[in-house]
Amino acid sequence: MSKSHQAKHRARKEQRGHYLLRLFMAGNGENSQKALANLRRLCHQHLNGRCTIETVDVVKDFEAAVRNNILVTPALVLVAPRPRVMILGNLSDLPKVLVALRLPGSES
Amino acid sequence: MHGKPRPIPKVPTRIRGLDEVLEGGLPRGRTTLASGGPGSGKTVLGLEFLCRGAMAGEPGVFVTFEERAEAIRKNALSMGLDLAALEKAGKVAVVEARLDGEEVLSGDFDIRGVLAIVEGHAKRIRAKRVVMDALDVLLRVYGDPQRERNELYRLHDWLMDRKLTSFLSVKAQLDGNMVHRYEFLDFMADCVIRLDHRVQGQVATRRLRVIKYRGSGFGTNEYPYVIGGHGIVLFPLTQAELPHQPLGPKVPSGLAGLDAMMDGGFRRAACILMAGTSGTGKTTLANAFARAACRRKEKVLYLSFEESQEAMIAGMLSVGIDLRPALRGKRLMVQTALPEAMGSDNHLLRALEAIDSFKPDHLILDAISACVRMGSESAAFDYLMRLVAVVKERGITCILTNQITGLLGGGEELSGIGFSSVVDAVIHLRFVDAGQEIGRQILIVKARGSGHSNRRESYYITDQGINFPNNLRLPSARAGQADSKDGGK
Repeated sequence: MSKSHQAKHRARKEQRGHYLLRLFMAGNGENSQKALANLRRLCHQHLNGRCTIETVDVVKDFEAAVRNNILVTPALVLVAPRPRVMILGNLSDLPKVLVALRLPGSES
Repeated sequence: MHGKPRPIPKVPTRIRGLDEVLEGGLPRGRTTLASGGPGSGKTVLGLEFLCRGAMAGEPGVFVTFEERAEAIRKNALSMGLDLAALEKAGKVAVVEARLDGEEVLSGDFDIRGVLAIVEGHAKRIRAKRVVMDALDVLLRVYGDPQRERNELYRLHDWLMDRKLTSFLSVKAQLDGNMVHRYEFLDFMADCVIRLDHRVQGQVATRRLRVIKYRGSGFGTNEYPYVIGGHGIVLFPLTQAELPHQPLGPKVPSGLAGLDAMMDGGFRRAACILMAGTSGTGKTTLANAFARAACRRKEKVLYLSFEESQEAMIAGMLSVGIDLRPALRGKRLMVQTALPEAMGSDNHLLRALEAIDSFKPDHLILDAISACVRMGSESAAFDYLMRLVAVVKERGITCILTNQITGLLGGGEELSGIGFSSVVDAVIHLRFVDAGQEIGRQILIVKARGSGHSNRRESYYITDQGINFPNNLRLPSARAGQADSKDGGK
């Protein structure tokens, strides 16, 4: 019951253009922190907060890496809206990330 | 103060021939690099190393960056290695680590994702070994040699920290600037192996060479190898002096006349060459020996490159030699092949497998002259040298026939391809013009460790077998007693 409720909730969010972004990292090193900071900034500046960020540490949860075929880290997966997209790296090349996420406004 | 250098710990590969070349195996807890072109057998080598290790109690992780896991399993099965069963038993983990090429790149990244996956599996199965196959495919994602290099150093450290015995394979880049792309890997790895797949005289051959082995000696030659139904087999002939068995006691030749000429017959474990032009009776002579041996309940392996088993049986029946009882009694095994059907390495593997399973007392190879069709004279030479080496090591008597062309003068090379040094006895058969008819003569040119006649003797091939009209008897035909210089009459 609650699952379907959740799904409905998610679907509504999606309709409103809500983004679900899953960030895979290996440990909490510099590159991981950079990727997370870049992603948060993007969420704030280009999605007006219409996004949920989930982080997964593959060192702690290698099964998640297996399931999602995470070979290099950091790796960002756009889970919703569909289609799914994977972006490798610490997301420092913002224009490229925006294009990949199908977001307008790559203006600086 | 200074202790002797201690031999470094090694892990046997259990690949036939390879451990001899590596003087025991790969370095334990260290990195081995194998490189080679497409189709050179890198994947197979890694796969066999991992599976044989897992079967012997050392679990391992196989990471494939190029082929699908399913293709790897099929590949293993074709060599008789049941990867899926080993996975089920928790002795092997296969990790398919392939990027699909759709990923977008933005900023710095590293391969810790893969390492996390490998580590997870390694912990689960308590892996001691890791094979990373086609590492270059993953590294391509960097598109930058400098970053590839940094990543490989990171990988190397990671493997060393975990004391994993690792085997990495990369494709040799033959084109343009890529030649030296992974050369630095040679310095990083403790053991470096090059695989090569080339075509010689229209026949594909594979060669393996160890380039370096930190802290250990190794065989420095290029070794031929084949990939057969039981995995990789290397032929490290040049690996040390050959432990030949000394020549044994006399073994009857199957012909009373020939025994008389050779002081009782051949020596066991000797290599006997029977040379003559076409039609002089080489095959008949060899089969007379085979039949006699089989009647004594000894075993003979007959490698025929000239005719089929059926044709040989029929041909021998016409000269009064019935091989069928020997075949039925499983004392005679005939292995036939067209020389050009496969490379000399595969011919050798086939013969060695027959020797291993059949365990013959004697071996007949008919004929050397056909072996050249395996590709080239050097391929034939290689094949024969290696075969004779194995045969001698096991104390097997070996009869080689050779068809020579033209009439024989003095000092001609009867083997045709210059390996008389390994031949212990040479028998020369020839035709002679005897006026109204053509006669045949036999001469013992050499017989190591044995007295022998130095006369040319006449013989006839009849439907009752080979006859010596001079009714030769043992003492009368001994070397030193007969002194006819002109040979036949």
